Amino acid sequence: MLRYIIRRIFQFVPVLFAVTLFTFVMMRAIPGGPFDAIGDKTLPPQVVANIEAKYHLDWPMWKQFASYLLGDKILGEEGLSRGVLFGDLGLSLKFRGQTVNDIVATTLPISAQLGIMSVLLALLIGIPTGTIAALKQNTWMDYTSTFAAVVFISVPNLVLAPILIWIFSLKLGWFPVATWGAKPPFFLGIFPRFSQFNMSYFSHAILPVFALGTSSAAGISRLTRASLLQVINEDYIRTARAKGLREQTVIAVHALKNSLIPVVTILGPLFAAVVTGTFVVELIFGINGMGKHFVASIGNRDYPVITGVTLIYAIVLVIANLLVDITYAWLDPRIRFD
Amino acid sequence: MKSNKTILVFAALIISSMVLAACGGGGLAADPVTLNWNWGTEPPSLDPSLATDTTSVDVVGNTFIGLTKFDPVTGEVAPYLATSWESGEDADGNQTWTFHMRDDVSWVSYDAESGKVVKDSEHKTVTAHDVVYGVKRTVDPATASDYSYVLYIVKNAAEINGGSEELTVDDLGVVALDDYTVQFTLERQAGYFPAIAGMWIAYPMPQWAIEAHGETWTEPENFVSNGPYVLASWIHGGELDLAKNPFWINADDVQIEYIHGLMIEEASTAFALYENGELDSVGVPLPEMDRVKSDPVLSADYYEAPTPCTYYYGFTNTKPPFDDVRVRKAFAQSIDRQSLIDNVTKGGQIPATSFAPPGIFGAPEPGKVGLPYDVDAAKASLQSYLDEKGMTMDEFNALDIILMHNTSEGHALIAAAIQQMWTDNLGADVRVENQEWGVYLKTTQNDAPLDGMPHIWRLGWCADYPDENNWIHEVFNSDEGENRTRSDNADFNALTVAAGSADDPAEREALYEQAEQMFAEEMVAYAPIYHYTTVQVTKPWLTRHFPPLGANDFYAWTLDDAARGQ
Repeated sequence: MLRYIIRRIFQFVPVLFAVTLFTFVMMRAIPGGPFDAIGDKTLPPQVVANIEAKYHLDWPMWKQFASYLLGDKILGEEGLSRGVLFGDLGLSLKFRGQTVNDIVATTLPISAQLGIMSVLLALLIGIPTGTIAALKQNTWMDYTSTFAAVVFISVPNLVLAPILIWIFSLKLGWFPVATWGAKPPFFLGIFPRFSQFNMSYFSHAILPVFALGTSSAAGISRLTRASLLQVINEDYIRTARAKGLREQTVIAVHALKNSLIPVVTILGPLFAAVVTGTFVVELIFGINGMGKHFVASIGNRDYPVITGVTLIYAIVLVIANLLVDITYAWLDPRIRFD
Repeated sequence: MKSNKTILVFAALIISSMVLAACGGGGLAADPVTLNWNWGTEPPSLDPSLATDTTSVDVVGNTFIGLTKFDPVTGEVAPYLATSWESGEDADGNQTWTFHMRDDVSWVSYDAESGKVVKDSEHKTVTAHDVVYGVKRTVDPATASDYSYVLYIVKNAAEINGGSEELTVDDLGVVALDDYTVQFTLERQAGYFPAIAGMWIAYPMPQWAIEAHGETWTEPENFVSNGPYVLASWIHGGELDLAKNPFWINADDVQIEYIHGLMIEEASTAFALYENGELDSVGVPLPEMDRVKSDPVLSADYYEAPTPCTYYYGFTNTKPPFDDVRVRKAFAQSIDRQSLIDNVTKGGQIPATSFAPPGIFGAPEPGKVGLPYDVDAAKASLQSYLDEKGMTMDEFNALDIILMHNTSEGHALIAAAIQQMWTDNLGADVRVENQEWGVYLKTTQNDAPLDGMPHIWRLGWCADYPDENNWIHEVFNSDEGENRTRSDNADFNALTVAAGSADDPAEREALYEQAEQMFAEEMVAYAPIYHYTTVQVTKPWLTRHFPPLGANDFYAWTLDDAARGQ
């Protein structure tokens, strides 16, 4: 198993390199640059030249990429880049004076807190409702869970989030309208500090976690139901029943565990997507997460930011997929990686 | 049993953390008078040399003071760091402007540990040398300032900023005559220079702090400033707080002691926070406009403040059929601006027929010059073109006329309304297209290929300083401005230059009016649509201004905490 994991980690390198290269090249292929205009005003060419010189945007593309990857020192140039390989994601072109590392350190933890809670909520709701729906197939419980799932899958967060704010914050006054309950610095760089981990933190989190978690929960619920229905008809379940196991044991130990493989499969990408920030939920709830940088930095042509956040997303994704593969081995003893 | 214990311990931890949280906070003896504000977005830079957007300028303008300021009510240039100024001439006959500064403005910073504002121990007062440093720093190409070009009117600034080999920043036309007198030498006469001298790019800047901390000098722990407020905290992308500077020149008159500022980008969320009493003043999102106006409480909070910005449709003056003035005239005169404002934009905008909005020096009264809405004249104008070319309307429509805007819901609504007006009034079929902002700017650039250039396109313009030079000259003079309309008229160009350098204000006003008239009525290079307003709701306990230009004057606002019910 350990050898497998090490081999996989080595495979990450070309994947992450390709992601970086593609993002880097494609962003620069879009017409327009970061310093073309202030609002509706076009800047004079020499002003643009000064700024581009400062950020080395006047270099040939290969050199810019080398500088981004390896740092300016290796190229024998004076410059601010220390290289992605050495953990420096570069300087933001839009937020002058801020590094991409600063931006990630401030916003990723908040997105991660929101994302982790919503994945947990999705599992807590999705697996039990899916299981019940499968076991009570074609009863009112199945129909109710199906109906709820379809509703939550269909209603986009763009609609759900403002409705939640209107009902639970403005009309009922139960929860805050917006913002997040924890601020930097974070405990271990990710979690809220102990002094902030309080009632206010959770009351801020409830609505966004609900908005983000329910749509995933609906998907997980449907998948669990379908997968469990299939597993229940397998021979080994009949065997388990035939040898006189209690129905609860049959379901919990034999059926459910195997039926979770498809759920775990989608959990990897789902986890990576929500943990690195979701644009709509963060925007509507005024949460200072990383989601906005995936969208705004493209419009701003903020090359280092979009490349940086994409790289972070890719790293989380490959790690999450590795964890998924490891979980397979635990869920299904037939799967061996050595 | 074991698991029960774990739950108990966990519960105890949660409860104790809540108790701790409830006890924490405070630190200030009395609750300061606090304004709950929404900056709307993360300010991209708090460096006066680098600030370009309204949010950054708002923060910078409240933490620094310039030589002059714009009066928050009238928008006119008023004394600030300088108490008086006069123009003169140097030995070579260049115009000079000399500013006499006050000597009692302190450099201060915020001490987060004690929560107090402290004076800088070494650099006690703001001097002329700090102004000279600030101006040189903006022009220095190494600073890479976006707005440096606004200072090109200063002697040698354009060459130095352009990376001249012979000239250095020390050759720039700015000098400290003594500790509290600063003199600028200009490239050419500019009656509007006192307005430019008060802009953020020409603020006095703390050389020692900038050199000690480099790019991070704008972080709260390094920030040194001299304005009515100091930077108390800044969580990037989340919150930015300002605290009152007790050492400021008019500190006794400043009532709001603390500004707690969020960065809520979504307008409807900010509006929900306002309705919940968590913000004291916000902009009204377009979908809420009708409800706000009809609601008895919200309508009392509602205010439409003019903003010195103009929304316009440019014509590509070299692209057939818009290379003919009669076609441009027909399209410009068949836009019913009032109907557009009443039904689409809804914010009480002012219909525009000329470029610079009211409040800008030299701007004609709205409606005084330019082409009014006149369907008959428009039809006649188009007909005369068709007759001469021997075209039918169908043949004209086969030319596939394109109106382009940058992708945005608001622009799309306006384009659809005006497209319909052209169909109804002229029988013209116009196709509406949109492009992402960065791409759009490239497509409509004045040297972009004519093939890809749309016939009609939207843009806006907002004032940097309240003078017509910033408008009709900087935007449309084809020798000096960017002029995306591709119009080219030597008389017009000469007129805007003459208006900028004339001595007598009355003469300048007259020349600008002539230029506006020529551009809108004779050349019809564009169709102005409306002058912007900002539509705000403000809680009754906050008394505020709506400064047309530059930063908000928080120092002059008042907040009635008793009425707020704190």
